[in-house]
Amino acid sequence: MTNDDGKVRKIRPRNPGFAGITGEFDLTEAQIRGTDYVGARPLDGGHPSVAGTMPYQLTTRAPDLPLFEGEYLRRLEKVLSRYEDRRAALLPALHIVHEIRGYLPPEAMDEVAERLLLAPAYVRGVATFYTMYNLQPLGRFLIQVCTNISCNLCGADEVLREFLEQTGTEIGEISENGLWTVLEVECLGACGFPTAVQINERFFESVKAEDVPAILKRLEAEVPA
Amino acid sequence: MLSEHFGDPEARTLEGWEARGGYSALRKALGESRKDIIEEVKKSGLRGRGGAGFPTGVKWSFMPKDSGKQHYLLCNADESEPGTFKDRELMRWTPHQLIEGCLIGAYAIQASHCYIYIRGEFFEATQILARAIEEVYEAGYAGKDVLGSGHDLDITLHLGAGAYICGEETGLMSSLEGQRGEPRVKPPFPAVSGVFKKPTTINNVETLCAVPHIVNNGGEWYQQWGTEKSTGTKLFCVSGHVQRPGNYEVPMGFNFREFIYDVCGGPPDGRTIKAVIPGGSSVPIMSADELDVGMDYEAMISAGTMLGCGSVIVMDDTTDIVKQVRRMVDFYAHESCGQCTPCREGTAWAAKILRRIEDGWGTESDLDTLVEISENMTGKTICVLSDSAAAPITSSIEKFREDYLALIGAGTVETARSA
Ligand SMILES: Cc1cc2nc3c(=O)[nH]c(=O)nc-3n(C[C@H](O)[C@H](O)[C@H](O)COP(=O)(O)O)c2cc1C
Ligand code: SF4
Ligand code: FES
Repeated sequence: MTNDDGKVRKIRPRNPGFAGITGEFDLTEAQIRGTDYVGARPLDGGHPSVAGTMPYQLTTRAPDLPLFEGEYLRRLEKVLSRYEDRRAALLPALHIVHEIRGYLPPEAMDEVAERLLLAPAYVRGVATFYTMYNLQPLGRFLIQVCTNISCNLCGADEVLREFLEQTGTEIGEISENGLWTVLEVECLGACGFPTAVQINERFFESVKAEDVPAILKRLEAEVPA
Repeated sequence: MLSEHFGDPEARTLEGWEARGGYSALRKALGESRKDIIEEVKKSGLRGRGGAGFPTGVKWSFMPKDSGKQHYLLCNADESEPGTFKDRELMRWTPHQLIEGCLIGAYAIQASHCYIYIRGEFFEATQILARAIEEVYEAGYAGKDVLGSGHDLDITLHLGAGAYICGEETGLMSSLEGQRGEPRVKPPFPAVSGVFKKPTTINNVETLCAVPHIVNNGGEWYQQWGTEKSTGTKLFCVSGHVQRPGNYEVPMGFNFREFIYDVCGGPPDGRTIKAVIPGGSSVPIMSADELDVGMDYEAMISAGTMLGCGSVIVMDDTTDIVKQVRRMVDFYAHESCGQCTPCREGTAWAAKILRRIEDGWGTESDLDTLVEISENMTGKTICVLSDSAAAPITSSIEKFREDYLALIGAGTVETARSA
């Protein structure tokens, strides 16, 4: 269709929006999430260009594993090779700690400071600026419910309430069985599919309050006995 | 154009992307002079899709020529403006579209290194992009001496850690350097002294995704869509009270009312639209009777609002406007980096006052106070987060004053938490 000025004004609009794991596409969850394409990433980070991008929040935690040895050290060295300034590796290094420990313990931050030749207070100053760095231990699953505007319009408050009720926690607490911590977070960039909930590294979208028990059950089943 | 391959998992892989014409633009670009590429992008009229709408070719031409210094291209994939979810789809379905755009952009501005700064929450998109970058290194599209051209083009994927302010261009640079994501005073502008104090250009994901298409087909071809000053197509993210939310790619200048009612199906059955935010939470709210405007930068400005990043948030007649404005202002109060007093104090106090009004304990003079605070927050700070927080406050008080007034004097003992 053209307008008076000869310019095309209209093309057939498509709505290819990602519609959560139930989706409007005839695809498997692995295809939608891309896990079939990505496969397993090696602990040493793979190619240096992407070594700083491993999961920051694993379901398993290793309280005693050395932070920067073996594959993890190799990963940090790859990261360092990508910047002209050592300090730029700080966020990736904190991500490594978070991945292994599940949060940032003070002594681990000191170790990062030592590795990157930074002052410990500087590292803490940076770590506290970013919301993804948790300074306290968390439940095995960190449930982050978006209550920002788009989700809020579509019932995010009820979803949050349901998660709290079903896990028997208050915001930020660890549930008695050690599995759950529920947080209220800002927009997760999935606003067309409210409510958006991020659980560890995974997104769950178009979540309604009545879906909550099934989600928790699914996660529980993933915990190794 | 940009969204053609959404929902097609094969388009993700390098093989699939090449089969769909991928990387032909990179080959073409490497055979052309930098000046010609920048001229072509200028001619296309492509404007930044990150919110400000600055012409991309012009931005590229600010970069020094043959400065002898390292130059950097930054790709802004921090997408955290409430209501926005287009960059994530671009990255998860068509990672190679973005990578190709980054490589061409880096070549055009004489940068041998491009960092893609992606928000830390986007785990799935990050993993897909990471795999795709490994693929381009294996295939020789990135790295040393790309395709035998003699040019080195490196890409590094850098993960953020959860801070809205790192989407602001200088905040992003601070964050990439391993600091708190605090914006910096300009000048110096990034093209003079950006990340690691080197000449830097920063572009949004969607902007860079459009580049390969322009290189392949020419600037004139891109102008066939849109209006005189806002050319091309754009992804619009539709959320809130609407029948069919999601990402839609439409030409700039498309009628907004038609878009919401026909394309997106309008409000849920039996409801009517009360208000719409056309460009993410940082732009002024529109009321339902203002929707007959074009979806382009100029038309939105003449309608008293902004196109922003094209995030359309629809609110129907059941919406509690005061609550939603309060929720947005809470967000800005949380995300303010705290460097500037008007922003740090203004967002915090405005949120408190709004909460009091929401609880029914406000007074009519609170509205004047809010407007006054908002005025003090506008145009006085290092970055425009402060202005962004003021936009929903002033526009909602202006257009939905009755909603505020209805709550005044409605307080009860139960709601006295903050009074
Ligand atoms: C508070 C704030 C947050 C921003 N967040 C983003 C963002 O998440 N993504 C983005 O692309 N641009 C964001 N911007 C805009 C960027 O500062 C910048 O204008 C943009 O990345 C430039 O790219 P473009 O010319 O391609 O639009 C933000 C700006 C401000 C002031
Ligand atoms: S306006 Fe706000 S967010 Fe921006 S630099 Fe100042 S305090 Fe930080
Ligand atoms: S508002 Fe919930 S994901 Fe954006």
